[in-house]
Amino acid sequence: MKMISKAAAALLLGTVVCAPALADEGTKVALVPGGPHPYFAAWEQAGADAKTEFGLGAADYRVPAKWELNLQSQLLESLLTQGYNSFLIFPGDAVGTTSVAQELVDNGAQVIATAGCLKDPSPALFCLGTDTGNSAYLGAKELIRAMGGKGKIAHFTGFLVDPNTQLRIDAVQKAADETNGAVEVVQVIADIDAPQPAEEKINAYLAANAAGVDGIITTAWVPAVVAANSLRKIGDKRIKMVGIDHDEVVIKAIADGFVDGTMLQNPYGQGFIGSYVLNRLRNGCTLKEDGPWKSNALTNRFVDSGTVFVDQATAPTYVNAMVGITADLLAGFEKDFLTCS
Amino acid sequence: MAHAGADRPIPPGSAPRRMSSGMRLLLGNEFGLAVLILLTAATFALTLDGFTSPFSVYTIGRQIGIDTMIGLAMMAVIVTGGLDLSVGAIGVCSAMLFGWLMQVMGVPVLVAVPLAVLFGASLGFVNGFTVVMSGVHSFIITLASMSIFFGVMIFLTKAAAFNGLPPQVQAFGKMRVLPGISPLLLITVAVCAALVVFYRYSTLGRQMLAAGANARAAELSGIRTGRVIVACHMLTGLLAAIAGLMVTARTGAAVPSMAGQLGQDWLLPAFLAPVLGGTLLSGGRVSVIGTLLGATFINIMTSGLLLMRVGEFWILAFLGMMLLIAVLADRTRQIFLTSRGMI
Repeated sequence: MKMISKAAAALLLGTVVCAPALADEGTKVALVPGGPHPYFAAWEQAGADAKTEFGLGAADYRVPAKWELNLQSQLLESLLTQGYNSFLIFPGDAVGTTSVAQELVDNGAQVIATAGCLKDPSPALFCLGTDTGNSAYLGAKELIRAMGGKGKIAHFTGFLVDPNTQLRIDAVQKAADETNGAVEVVQVIADIDAPQPAEEKINAYLAANAAGVDGIITTAWVPAVVAANSLRKIGDKRIKMVGIDHDEVVIKAIADGFVDGTMLQNPYGQGFIGSYVLNRLRNGCTLKEDGPWKSNALTNRFVDSGTVFVDQATAPTYVNAMVGITADLLAGFEKDFLTCS
Repeated sequence: MAHAGADRPIPPGSAPRRMSSGMRLLLGNEFGLAVLILLTAATFALTLDGFTSPFSVYTIGRQIGIDTMIGLAMMAVIVTGGLDLSVGAIGVCSAMLFGWLMQVMGVPVLVAVPLAVLFGASLGFVNGFTVVMSGVHSFIITLASMSIFFGVMIFLTKAAAFNGLPPQVQAFGKMRVLPGISPLLLITVAVCAALVVFYRYSTLGRQMLAAGANARAAELSGIRTGRVIVACHMLTGLLAAIAGLMVTARTGAAVPSMAGQLGQDWLLPAFLAPVLGGTLLSGGRVSVIGTLLGATFINIMTSGLLLMRVGEFWILAFLGMMLLIAVLADRTRQIFLTSRGMI
């Protein structure tokens, strides 16, 4: 994971014409996910690269010990006490994190909701993340194409308490509905974005129903890894699958033909660009009210950090795809979203 | 500390020696905890920048209020030698009902609060009634009810939060009654005072202690232990509901994930505070003040460790170690006191 991030950083810094970096050692950025999860591992390198590139006082990746709203809140409060003044936060809860974010802002800090949004109204400057519903929809369309436009789909996804999960379920269903009955979502298994429940439920489901399923879509990291491993064990490439994210297991399964593709997200870019923007905002820039903000189910100030489908042909160079979307976003961010004197 | 020591073995032919009040104080959990808290807080205050800042003191106090309430909820059922794994689920369900009543039904805050608290008590009644009627240990019953309560709540709410609550709810959660003091902490102190009186002076409170210390002896004394156990679970539900409302005030919204998956995030603080404080897992003895002190110690340590940047993952390990040490220390104290004929 670190090697991938380093490669991404090297490529990105080598290919992107960065906006002028204004060194501000007073900008202390904390990159705080909701808890430990492989998706966020790239944030550590992104923070380190941003610190060097933009001359920040700090850009530290700090992980709550577990996915617990209260632990994240305590960590954020402590980081504020420690002098951090800029926060990239994956909200432990789209509503529940608003209160602590407001406290940070009330005490002079700035917050960008990153990789997941806070529900409006919120004190976050904006939300920088994947358009989860759209990503799931595009992934489902790719799966349906791989299935030849007909068949039965099983959908393995994340925690039900995460509002994104329902958006993903709806998006996959929408793609299936557009086939006028040719494709049917026969099973949705949620609450499995952790190794133990994912192993248990996916393996049990496939052991009993593999013959009755033509396609699998996964819209959470751990189910993608577990389902890819299961298909490799079964050894039957009849079942088509589209995963999510860039775990090595999934990428290798794509290269070996057990998985048809994956919807890449852009965690490195989120951490890197987010740190850059926070620094610019601390140094005289302001956000454009009339910028090309997008909307999603949670907020009207959304910036899509990008998603891209990677298949067998593009799997060996998927890092380039991540670099590409980060470079594009970074190159145009100041012009599109910032007003700098 | 309220207690009923009827289940303690007494050496044949000897009566328990009377312990002086000074000795009892020195051997009590509360004294040890109070000393630890003072030493720890003083050390952190002298060595860590920001530990005594108004913001830090305020957030620590607010968290002590919430964690203590969660601990009291578990303590209320531990008194019978039972457990309630569904405290988190009850707290969340009550908070979600609170949010629904106000946001959807337009019920005023002052009406929604007692309704939500009563709802928590009613979920506790379901637990207690099932435990008594089935004869199955509360561990199993509440393991099941935790999933049922939480699952039904998720089904009904579709995991959507209620964030359109009256502004006074969030304002209350952010209020500072005195410089650096959250009203949530004051509520907890008031509930602690009420519980001390309840266990020490009320008939039902003393019956709870007696039933927990020795259920058979309590039955022979005319106490209807089944009813008492149901009452304990209802008290647990009521206190869990108050904790849920406090978290709602803190977050300004009723959030399904406030206690994690199935409400399990509350389990560690629920056990840690009362056990550290001297409540016996075998039942028959509670320590309300000890629970408050236990939660205080945990939060001071957690805050200090975070400021020391020892690594977030070590904090959970530390809390687990504290629980283990508390249980072992409790066992050692029992053996010591028994060997001296003091209990």
